[in-house]
Amino acid sequence: MSDQGHGTMRPLRHAPLLAGAALVLLVALAPIEGAAHGPDHPHVGARQGVEQTRAAAVVWAPDAFLVYLENDETLDPDGAAERWGYLYFSPGLKKARAYSVRDGKILVAEDLEMTFEAPPLASQWIDSGAALAAAGEGGGKEFCRDHEGRLDTMLLTRGAFQDGDPDVTTWTVIYGAPHAASLFVVVDATDGKVRRVWRG
Amino acid sequence: MSAMDRTLGILAATLALALAGPSAHAAGKAKPAAPAAKSAQAAAPAPAAFTPPSNAVEVRVERIPPQREKYATLRFLKENRAWIRACYDRLKEKPVGHSGAAESVDPRFLLYQRLLAEVRSSEDSLTAAEEERKREELFASITDLGKLEAQLDVMDRLLTEQRVRLAELEQDFAGRQQTSLAIVVSGCPAGLALDSLAIVLENNVRVSVPLSADQRAELARGGVLQIFRGLVEPREQLVQVAAQGGVGLSPAPGYLTIEPPRDRLTFLKLDLSRLQAQAGAPSMTASTWTLDSDLHANNDSPGP
Repeated sequence: MSDQGHGTMRPLRHAPLLAGAALVLLVALAPIEGAAHGPDHPHVGARQGVEQTRAAAVVWAPDAFLVYLENDETLDPDGAAERWGYLYFSPGLKKARAYSVRDGKILVAEDLEMTFEAPPLASQWIDSGAALAAAGEGGGKEFCRDHEGRLDTMLLTRGAFQDGDPDVTTWTVIYGAPHAASLFVVVDATDGKVRRVWRG
Repeated sequence: MSAMDRTLGILAATLALALAGPSAHAAGKAKPAAPAAKSAQAAAPAPAAFTPPSNAVEVRVERIPPQREKYATLRFLKENRAWIRACYDRLKEKPVGHSGAAESVDPRFLLYQRLLAEVRSSEDSLTAAEEERKREELFASITDLGKLEAQLDVMDRLLTEQRVRLAELEQDFAGRQQTSLAIVVSGCPAGLALDSLAIVLENNVRVSVPLSADQRAELARGGVLQIFRGLVEPREQLVQVAAQGGVGLSPAPGYLTIEPPRDRLTFLKLDLSRLQAQAGAPSMTASTWTLDSDLHANNDSPGP
């Protein structure tokens, strides 16, 4: 018992010193942690960044049009993300340029190294929130429940994943799971109807 | 500073920029800025002392380009590029196995078309005759007052159409703005023979502006010289500036970070008056402002 008593008393003698050291350490680490995580930015739907990127794209190439977009940060259950990526294609330059938008500001502007000649997205399309809701009802929720799945990616394209009607602009919602093949749900971006579902 | 002073300052800058308008550089094309320089020279006889507007903010000119955080974008597309491109390739036209050459049309089909056209023509003639008859009856029964009302209606319609056309013109010319940047310089370094300025914008837009003795004199008298005007992307971007001159002037470039707002004209003013020979471009001072917000600010607040 006495040994135990000594054992418990010994650290107490150094308690003020340790507490001071811990405090100094906390203060020193606080800015680093803050910088690592950064401030929170609002989650928004994909449509929020279109006008900003279009204004930039027409400076890059007057004939540029939007051909593709996807989430650049994790999606929340409402289909919103902190950052979205937009891809524009110029037939005149035969090049594509990507923009990434967060909080209404373009954080990234870079030319795409690969050739990516794609048709323009339709001018009218439902936002990511409505598309995700449709995909959830079209099998996404069931997949997540049965396979401990999660929402991975949302991308908007025209024609790429809709063989039957290649003129349609569609959202493709991709769910992943640790022990199962991913689920792809293609949602018509005009009327919000699920057009195609497959695993792969 | 009174509102009148601010307005005069803006007018002086706007006049100088408007005169230099035809020399505007399109984004992505670097041209010599001689026309702009000539414009400044043309406005030289009585240059008004340029005063930055009230909404101008100072921009730090740095010796080393600031490091920006790297963000990944379009990860799914890049990781699955082969698959996605294959999906798009399926949309492209493919040659078919059989001939696509035209074949002769059965002459009977052409005859049917002609018969149908004749039937429609006859109907049109009957309709036109009927309308003509009705029109004659109507005119016979209309009084002079009716004719006058009709004329008034026509005038009213023309006026309405004119208003619509004017609204469309206003929408096109006053409502459509694009993101653009104008770089102007002012001041003249004491004891330094500045030969030229070199500007490098992102996307490798390079502008080299030679400065003549006359232009340096005008800058010393308070004139403003536009050295670049063009479209830019509405995002944070780096501007590199270097001063070149005679013996002793350091060619070290300076780096400025600007963020032109969308659909606005952003001014970046480089003040050369504090340029030091040994320090080079980083010893310049700079400020930036947007044109529209300044005009609104002047309209809203009369100033002290």
